[in-house]
Amino acid sequence: MESRKLLFVTQFEELWFDALQSLMDLRKAEFNHVVFLHVIEREKVAMHRGKGYLKDEETKLREIANIRFIDWAESLFEQGMEVGAYIVVGNPLPKIISTAEEELVDLIVTGRHKRGKIEELYAGSETVEILRRTSTPVLVYKYMLPSGKVNERPFERPILAMDGSPASHRAVDYLLKFKEIIKDVIVINVAGEKDIKGSSAMEIQATRKEQRLKLDEVCDRLRDGGIEADAHLYVGNICEQIEKAAREREATMIVAGATGKSGLKEIFIGNVAKNLAQYSTFPTLLVPANIKPAIK
Amino acid sequence: MSKKVLTVDDDPDIIAFVKTVLEENGYSPIVARNGEVGLSLARDEKPDLVILDVLMPKQSGIRMYRELKSDEAMKDIPVVILSGIAKRTFLRSQEALTEFGDQSVPEPDVYIEKPVEPDELAETVKRLIG
Repeated sequence: MESRKLLFVTQFEELWFDALQSLMDLRKAEFNHVVFLHVIEREKVAMHRGKGYLKDEETKLREIANIRFIDWAESLFEQGMEVGAYIVVGNPLPKIISTAEEELVDLIVTGRHKRGKIEELYAGSETVEILRRTSTPVLVYKYMLPSGKVNERPFERPILAMDGSPASHRAVDYLLKFKEIIKDVIVINVAGEKDIKGSSAMEIQATRKEQRLKLDEVCDRLRDGGIEADAHLYVGNICEQIEKAAREREATMIVAGATGKSGLKEIFIGNVAKNLAQYSTFPTLLVPANIKPAIK
Repeated sequence: MSKKVLTVDDDPDIIAFVKTVLEENGYSPIVARNGEVGLSLARDEKPDLVILDVLMPKQSGIRMYRELKSDEAMKDIPVVILSGIAKRTFLRSQEALTEFGDQSVPEPDVYIEKPVEPDELAETVKRLIG
């Protein structure tokens, strides 16, 4: 039996055990191995004037994390799952990347970190940086619905934002791995208003038709893989329209490709990924251009 | 020749503690930081005893234990589980894996929930392998 690994990154602020439990549907997609990662940020224990390195503080923080992970692991072990844990000191970003590589995970789950006003400027860039530096998809998991309830089946009805990039096509392939838990996929493309400006009605209609055909091809690929799919076109600000579409189509998650290469188009796409990760109220699954061979 | 004891644990403090207890009691310790490396060492070194943690990176003690007990060449090596994970959880997880189609495995020889006193550990090892 194939077994896939999920890296669950928590700072015990944004993601708790109920978040992980709401992802247990993933077992039907062969995710039977969960690896916990808690990074004790270096500044919490680093050298302080007159005190030196706070070894006792590190020990305390490690043991607090250990108590929590043992409790979570016991619940998962009893269900026959495989569990591992890392509690490390350092900067979160390189630790997430090194752990993902060490464990060869198939999915990284992170939360949306609570931030102050200045940090808000950089919000979401951490997620994009992970996507640039690993080949593993990242789920920025916002598991509480606006109603205050837990989103119990986030993979049930994803909205897939297509932009024609290799990364968005890989997102299609990646979603096919979840056919056991996806009921249907809403496939959308958002055309920016500037793409429409200056064109004749005929040209606009031709563009619409062309885009629609491309989306239909994506739907066909999903249907061939055993997942129902439906295509829709939107016009306007990309992030706003994706969020709007997700709401009006009652999606449970947003899925998008994210590329880490340089170049204007890629920077733009990177910004979409960054904004979705930080500001969307939906769980956001971002798939990098290069997925590791195991999941292809 | 002193008897070889393989300790598998990801906590360097526990590794150092167990290693000291073993050396002071005349045993020859070998260490691994996760189940994957532990299993490979068990195959290569054929230890007389394995002291095994449960919650570890790469491969947990639960899986490593199953692999040990399912391998004809290693199934008779006595195993002491030394872990923060409750014994009840360990046994239930083994039952769950058996239900999923894996073969059933016997209970470990000794199960100690952390922390352990040096005397208790030394006496346990002595009782199992002399």
